[in-house]
Amino acid sequence: MTALLRYHAALLLRSQRWLPPFLLYAAFLAISIQAGQPVLDSLGYSAAALLPVAAWLARICVTGEPDAARGCVAAAVGPGRAQVACLLVALAGAAALGTVTTLLVTLLSDPVASDHRTRVPLGPACGAGLLAALACALLGTAVGALTSRPLLRSPGRAVLALLLAALLSLVATGSPAQAVVQGLVTGSQKGTVPLPLLPLAAAALVTAAALALSGALASRRSP
Amino acid sequence: MRPDLCLQNAGRRYGLRGPWVLRGVDLTVAPGRLIRVEGGNGSGKSTLLRLLAGIDAPSEGRMTGRPRTAYVPERFPPALPFTAAGYLTHLGRVHGLTRTAAARAAGEWLERLGAAAYADTPMARLSKGSSQKVAVAQALLGEPELLVLDEAWTGLDTEARAELERAVAERTAAGGSVVFVDHDPRRLAGLSDATYAVRDGSLVERASAEPVPSGPQVIVDAQGPPDGRLPAEVHASVSSAEETAPGRYRLTVPAPHSDVVLRALLTARPPWHVASVVQREDPTGSRR
Repeated sequence: MTALLRYHAALLLRSQRWLPPFLLYAAFLAISIQAGQPVLDSLGYSAAALLPVAAWLARICVTGEPDAARGCVAAAVGPGRAQVACLLVALAGAAALGTVTTLLVTLLSDPVASDHRTRVPLGPACGAGLLAALACALLGTAVGALTSRPLLRSPGRAVLALLLAALLSLVATGSPAQAVVQGLVTGSQKGTVPLPLLPLAAAALVTAAALALSGALASRRSP
Repeated sequence: MRPDLCLQNAGRRYGLRGPWVLRGVDLTVAPGRLIRVEGGNGSGKSTLLRLLAGIDAPSEGRMTGRPRTAYVPERFPPALPFTAAGYLTHLGRVHGLTRTAAARAAGEWLERLGAAAYADTPMARLSKGSSQKVAVAQALLGEPELLVLDEAWTGLDTEARAELERAVAERTAAGGSVVFVDHDPRRLAGLSDATYAVRDGSLVERASAEPVPSGPQVIVDAQGPPDGRLPAEVHASVSSAEETAPGRYRLTVPAPHSDVVLRALLTARPPWHVASVVQREDPTGSRR
């Protein structure tokens, strides 16, 4: 499995297809987040924006490998493992991006609530931001896995479904991503730091199920 | 001993209600067997090979006994962001080799296939033939128990074709199974243990009564100990063996097997003396 993850990571990094989502994320953060803003608000923004980026990364990882090359790897390790490995690489990439962003945003923001008076401790706020980013990275990977090969094979429909699913999982009540972002925003209004463990667990469960489904279908719905 | 790979009443169709590409396929691939699959364009040969390689699962029926498998696709894309050696090292590790073993095997196979000069060339700049050599190398470097070749010879130059035939002989001599499709009837001629044809979505074994043309042969003259008997590996690989004097044998060997036979003779305990190796003059190549 390690060799497989390494291969897919190298494929992602060297293909440079990670650059557009990365740049889009950076541009969004540059516009929406400024130094000196309340820390929990900024962390909420950065976590929310990570979800579509993670979904895009997952799509890049799944579609980046040419069919014939995928066949060679699938013969060696089984198509299910190959599929799950490339989604795990996407998840790791999104989680790493979320971690770096959370740390940067924490450093740049003011340790205050939305009213700019109540103090918010930076350490716990950073922790809550990391958990929220991880939940959004997980859910984004699930969205990407469920809206690309082998579940949806026509690129036009897949991209539309990806955008719609990413939007829904950010705004629909009951979605773990909506819950963590809402938690950070409410926490900023009240001046308390949330601990979004429950939504994180839910996001992990949803993602595990999505990856398992994608892996199980990899050998049934191809090419 | 690993179990046979078995397809039982297997079928495959694309989509939930698509037409059946293959149906009712029963096939057993035992260790050490060389199996040829024939059929017209679009008959479902590639679908069968993808099932055997484990890339696709059968839509109905069962498949049991998955060995360590490697697959060579019919067209290999150069659109990978690696150098040839870099890609092969990654694939070697995916096949279970260590980093150093993978790098060494990558170098060896590129050398054997005559592509050592392209080891550090980005895959995107390789010619069609050279990228096919990379595809062949990735399948061979892990010494797989099952090798599935989907027209792997297409696009290779003459030397590389012969090298791949020898590599196939090595795999079967080492107890691996090989399943291949090729449009050239002379490919590994006379060496296949079984030939199957895909017709109208089903698999039929071609009667072995049909005359099988044999390929080029090599005559090996070897001297063993006076009461020496031929090593079992040699026995399995020769077309005929004739004892000319006590312990002295005149072996007729299919050309792709010649290296396997010589290696077995020279590494036997006690080793045999190889007196001469000549190519049999048989321009028609039809005599057995």
